[in-house]
Order: sequence, then C-alpha cells, then structure tokens
Amino acid sequence: MQRTSEQLRVSGGRVDGVECASEEGVGIRVAVPGHGFGFAATREATKTGLELALARAVSIARALPGSQRRGPLPPVLPARGHWASACEIDPFALSLEDRLELLLRAESLLRGDPRIVRGVAESLAIRTAAAFASSDGAAFTQERTECGGGISAYAAADGELQQRSYPSGHGGSVALAGHEHLIALDLPGHAPRVAEEALALLSAPPCPAGRTTLVLGGEQLALQIHESIGHALELDRILLGEASYAGASWVSASDVGTLRYGSPLLAISADATLPGGLGSFGWDDEGVAAQRTMLIEGGVLRATLSDRQSAAAVGASSGGAARADGFTRQPIVRMTNVSLVPGEGGTLEQLIAEVPSGVYMETNRSWSIDDRRLHFQFGTEIGREIRDGRLGRLLRNPTYAGVTPQFWGSLEAVASAPAWRLWGLLNCGKGEPGQTAHVSHGTSPARFRDVEVGVLR
Amino acid sequence: MSGEGELALAERALAHLAGDEAHVTVTRERSLFARFARSAATQATAIDDTSVELLCVLDGHTGAASTNQVHDAGLADAASRARAAASAAARNGQGAYPGLPRPAPVIGHDGYDEATAALDAGLAASALAAAFAACRDAGLEAFGIWTAGEVTTAIASSTGMALTDAVTDAHMTVIARDVNGRSGHRASSSVAAGDIDAAALAATAAARVTRREPEQLAPGDYAVVLDHAAVGTLLDFLGSLAFNGLAHTERRGALCESIGSAVAAPCVTLVDSTQIPGTLPRSFDAEGVPKRPLPLIENGIARAVVYDTRTAALAGTESSGHALAPGGDPEGPEPTNLVLAGGDAATLEELCAPIERGLFVTRLWYVNTVEPRHALLTGMTRDGTFLIEDGMIGRPLHDVRFTDSALRMLAATEQLTRAQRLVGDADLYGRRFAKGVLCPALRAGAFRVSGGSA
Repeated sequence: MQRTSEQLRVSGGRVDGVECASEEGVGIRVAVPGHGFGFAATREATKTGLELALARAVSIARALPGSQRRGPLPPVLPARGHWASACEIDPFALSLEDRLELLLRAESLLRGDPRIVRGVAESLAIRTAAAFASSDGAAFTQERTECGGGISAYAAADGELQQRSYPSGHGGSVALAGHEHLIALDLPGHAPRVAEEALALLSAPPCPAGRTTLVLGGEQLALQIHESIGHALELDRILLGEASYAGASWVSASDVGTLRYGSPLLAISADATLPGGLGSFGWDDEGVAAQRTMLIEGGVLRATLSDRQSAAAVGASSGGAARADGFTRQPIVRMTNVSLVPGEGGTLEQLIAEVPSGVYMETNRSWSIDDRRLHFQFGTEIGREIRDGRLGRLLRNPTYAGVTPQFWGSLEAVASAPAWRLWGLLNCGKGEPGQTAHVSHGTSPARFRDVEVGVLR
Repeated sequence: MSGEGELALAERALAHLAGDEAHVTVTRERSLFARFARSAATQATAIDDTSVELLCVLDGHTGAASTNQVHDAGLADAASRARAAASAAARNGQGAYPGLPRPAPVIGHDGYDEATAALDAGLAASALAAAFAACRDAGLEAFGIWTAGEVTTAIASSTGMALTDAVTDAHMTVIARDVNGRSGHRASSSVAAGDIDAAALAATAAARVTRREPEQLAPGDYAVVLDHAAVGTLLDFLGSLAFNGLAHTERRGALCESIGSAVAAPCVTLVDSTQIPGTLPRSFDAEGVPKRPLPLIENGIARAVVYDTRTAALAGTESSGHALAPGGDPEGPEPTNLVLAGGDAATLEELCAPIERGLFVTRLWYVNTVEPRHALLTGMTRDGTFLIEDGMIGRPLHDVRFTDSALRMLAATEQLTRAQRLVGDADLYGRRFAKGVLCPALRAGAFRVSGGSA
C-alpha cells in the first residue's frame, strides 16, 4: 500500500501549515485455525522483509490462547482486476501556491470583526494505491483519491465562544473525488455568512429546554445515522468482538428481519458503489466486491454490516465491509456509505412549513452515545426557532437527546431526492490499535416529533 | 534499520536539507497488540515501522513532509517536498514561526524497560490466560487488550540538536461481562509489562459485576466518587480545553480569564510532569524542547497553560516543552503527562463514607465537549455504576449520562485518595504515542446526571 497526503491550513491571514506525508508498506494477515487473526506490518517490501512479517504474524497468532469457535474463513469468489475512483482534477498535479491562494482568500473573508478570534480554511488531498493478494486466489489493485476542505470561524465575547463552519464541522467536506470537489464547495462565497452567523450566535438566546418538533439539517443527520445506526449495525460489535473498546450494540443478530428500528419512513442503505462516497471501493480489504445492501427498509432491520468472519459466525455471506486504515492495521468491520434514502417530504422549507412550533439544528459540534449505541446526545453549531412554519431567531448551543429506536420511530418526514447529498466523515475511530475510517453518509433533511432539546445541563 | 541508529538516520535526512533551517524527527515503533473477546484471542497485531518527519523553516513559515522510506531517494523526495511546502507558505509574506529552538540540556528518565522492549508474545499469552481464568472462576467472560511497545525518537536540527529518547509502555484492559451484559472494568498502564498483574485486573473487574438487577437513577445533581479511570478521562479532556496555549491566547480556552484565580477546590493540585514516578516519561517534546515539571493548578489556583515554540511566540513567552508535532500542531500544544496530586483518603470506601446518597462511577465513556469555553462535557458512565447509600457502595445502577463542567467538578472536589493510578488507553491512533494521566480517585459534591439508560 502506498498513501500520499497533503494537508493545507490557513489561519489569521497566514499559512498555518503545509504537511505532506507519504508511506508505503505491506500488511500480512493470517487466519490460523483454532486461533485469532495474526497480523504483522512492515515497510520492508523485500522478500526477506515479507517473510519475516509473515513469520511474525503466524507466531503471534499461535502464541495466544486459542479458540475452538473459529475455523477457516468461508471462501469467496477470487477478486481480480483494477478499480480507481473518479478524479477530474488531480490535486497533486496542482501547485501548492494555487491551492493555498484559494484558502487564503476564503479565510480573509472570515475576519474583520475583532470578535472573530480565529478563522481557519483548510484542505486535504489523499491518494491511496493498494495491491491485494490472498490465498483464496484474489489479486487486484485499486486507487482512491480523496479531496475536500472547509472553513470555520470562532467568535468570542463576554465569556461566550461560538463556532460556525462550512460546509461541515470537523475538517469540512471531503469526498472520493479530485480538486473539483473543493472548487465546487465555493469556500470564499460562503465565508462572509459563516462569520456573520458566528458573531450573531454570541448574543443569540440559548436553545430552550423541552420536548418539541426537531428538524435536522443534512450534515447533523449524517452524524446521527453514523452513530445510532451505522455503528449499531456493525456485526462484529453485535457479536461482542469489540465490546472492550468500541462497545457492543443494542441490536442482536437474531433481530434481522423483525426488529422495528424506526418509523415506516426510515430506509437506510449501505452502498460501497456510490460515486463520491468515502466508503466506496472496488473490493473491501478482504477481497469482497463492493455491494449495495439495504440495512433498513420500511423501518425494519434487514441486514447488518459484516466482514467474512462475522458473517460466517451467523451463517451469512460477507457484506463487504472489511476495511483497514493503512498497511499497519488489519481489516475490521467498518461502515461503507450508510445513507438515508430520500423521502417525499419536498424541500427543507416544506418540512419546516408544516411545523407550528419547533427547532431547526444544523452542523455538528458535539456528539456522544453509549456503548450500545442507544442513548445519545448531540449538539450543533447553530439552531433556529421554528414558529408557524417559518424559521425564526437564532438559538445558541442547541442540543438534543434521545434513545435510538424511539428517536427513529419519531421520524415523520424526509426531504425529497433533490435535497439529498453526501457528507464525508474523516474521524471514525475504532479498533486497537486505533484505526480512523473515512466514510460518507447521504442524507436529506428530516423532521422528528417530540424530541428532547436544550439538554445542556 | 540495517544497523543504522535512529539519530544517524535523522542526521542523514537532515543532510538533504543542508543550507536550510530544518528539523528532522525519526520515530521507530515496534509494538504488539493482543485483543480478546469472549475469553478468546481475536486479533494480534505486530508493527515495526519507522517514520521520518522533515520540517523546513523559511521566513517564519514551516513546511513539513514525512516518509517511511528511509533510503536516500525517499529522504531526498521528502526533503524536496518540505522545502517546496515552506516556500509556498512563505510566498505571502513573513509568518509567525519564530525559528527552531536551540539545543538545551534534557533530563534523563527511567521510562525504558528491556523486557518490555522484547515484545514477547509469550508474555501477552500469559496475561490473556490469567485474565481468562480469573473471569471463568467468576462465571464471566473476559474482553480487552494487552499491548506493549517500544518507541525510539531521534531529533537532528540545523540549530545543532542531536537527541535520542527511547521509551517503552505496556497496557492491559480487562472487561468482565456476564450473559446479561453487566460488566466491570479494570485497566493498568506502565512503563514495564511486568508491572501489569492480569489476574488482579480481571479479579477487580469481575468483582464489579453484581448479580443484582440495576436500577434507574433520575437526572439531577449527585455527590459522586469517581474512580481513577473516570478522573483520568476528565483530566485528559481538561488538558486540551483549559491548558492549550493556542486556545488560551486566542481567548478560546477555559482558563483564559482565570490564571491566578481559584478554579478548583484547595485540595486540587495538577501538574504536568515526566519526573514523577508512575508517569510515562519522555525527555523532550516534538520540537526537542526539554520536558520540565509545570504546575498548572496549585491548591485550586490556576497557574499556567502550556506552549510550544509557535504559540509561545504569539503569547510573548517561552515554550514550556509541550509541542505535539515538529513546528507545533495546528491545534496547539497540550499537556501529555498530567499528574493530579493524591489526597489523604486511604481507600475508596473512605471517600464514600460521608455520602448519604450519591453514585460511584468506575469509568466514563464517549466523553465529548459541549461548550469548550466552560469545559462543559457530556458522556456516559460504563462498566460499573453504583448507588452510594449511607456511605456504602451498594445497588448497581444503569449507566447514566452526565453533562457537567470538568472545572465545576474540580471546584466541588472534597477529598482524594492517597493512591494514584496511571490511566491510559490502548487505542493508540497513528504512530504510537502512549500517554496517561496519573491521578487518584476523588469525591466531589456535585456531578450532574442529565439522563439515564434503562
């Protein structure tokens, strides 16, 4: 595997950092019958280096206390070929100066008011080239290019600190695409509004506490899906394989086909073939072809996210969701692109028009959920009062909390396909040693009834 | 490494930036991870990798490039990219980086253990077997991880730095779990794998799994006893929210108007120090600046925040030796060796004794920041939450959600145990950088429960 990345960041009118990284190496995983997986990584891609790594992987697997539960992995159709993600404008072929100029221009438009204590514009480009071979006969190569960025403004006054970001928090919007994705975000065009909203939030009233109708913007809904559906449906968690660190799940393997996860409007897909999605690939890191699976249909659980080992444990075929974070990590069950299927609720404005009283929230700021993915609390950068079907005044520090099946059960409208888009997440952590997965979630805004909001204290 | 040491490699890489103001860091990680679930080994991972980070400084700007290809062609390519990055950054005028730090004497430490560095899979196997046996004896299943690692860091710079630091660390987490999902937790971190008593960890974790049905706790303010693991998590978050010199300088920090003021109870003294036994020591930070003890809160009074070279220049002061990356991390510096001074309580039971009705929290889970300016956090309790009644730990509770300020909890702290434990983790994202908080358990008069999880 070879991975090259460039991370650019501008703050306070200056270039704050230009970081270029490259790494290459080989990871070898062995399945030793009667034992767990053994995995060794080396940057020495020589015959000697590989033989040493293989010997290490076998020896550590054999050294550890075995399990009679695990036999050989069930066979899969050997994968062959090459796959590459779309990339119209190669970010690595562009000059650093030109890319920095875009960020400098955007960041300059965040500043001006002394209460803006920090402005940030950043971009990221990653190219990963991987070759895979297995004793099953698989042999393929694939190349993925990720690109994107974002802006954030921080405003402070009178002991209050507010943040506003575009197009999303936590590093902006990154997609499986080239530089054309960053250009299309039009960061300079959105910067003045971002700064204005950060300032306006300083004097906005706090989000009131109570139960009300909640409309979520697409970016926050993406994280809601990620935390309360995506992780909960990872089959390794369901089978307790991740209980010590990432946690387990409120779902059990036998719930597939019967569990009501949410209202009949809830339909969730896991689609590793989605153009632009950070969870897209030709084959997963166990050589299983990318696939599209409906996880939830009509509010009922239909499938889980699985790899070859977890699927075999429940007598199923792999869902093609084994992914590794680089050559030093072994593949584990990860999300691909877990998305909300668009509904028939029209536009965001139409969702809001039907609300006599409620709150609209967008852009994630804070997130927390229990180790069974059941009880959650989220905070967003901005809220707006909804009165008589219209957006009203800004609300600061908005938060909401809920319980997964009740929350999704209260889903009463999903905006239609034109409002649907992909949101990339770069910070999905799991595994020991830690692995950071890049995933995308497609969403359109949605409306929920009777949700607890304003749960700051 | 073909016999070439880390410092020699750093100096060879630096030669590719001859004539530039430059800094090179070489980090070699050798590590072993053994995960287990349902009392069986599940994933074993061995890593042996070396990374070379090159930093080029030009007109107050930094450009960084890293590689794990240590042949001359790989190093030359990385040097070229670092130089190009600095040049591109400098095109828009003078930057704020004040220049690379000069060499300064570093203090040695005893943070290296030969036996741990051997990465003996047999040691891992023995630990797992001991944990499985202890949990089996209690009618429970064991889940967790054992890991050990050796990390060698070398720095060479155009200012004359030539430093090497070798450290080891080991960590084990054991979660004992019954068929109903009730669980107990215990973890241990140390410089030496031999310090980890797997059987004792498992026995302690198992003892926290009760047969009684958990009860629901209503939201509200409760007196609380936080075990070491919970205290460590809170302080780790406070480290980034309150003591980050960049956030402090930009008026985003939780202490930006409070240095010199009382922010915690008088019994609270928090330092960042690699010199106190029980920490995971290092000789220098990511810029090669020596680690020195730094009081952060003394007897409840906020004293200092931490700086790297870049943020120190912004604040008009000197680096305190807390850089997280060469040239400074874009998010600023943080303390990595927090130590909360112990108190006078001999046992957890002594901490609980004055509480008429409150709760005992083993550990916290999925903590996240709600309002950084006020160090307001939210998270769940996990793997053992109990009601304290009439001074005794008693009935088990369903996990609860808390939403409270870490500073408010420190202000409400009433008593701490004498004994401290090193609270660390094994997730270790990216290049292994083991850290932990050395802390006692504590009793606080207020802990805000905002929800439950029946």
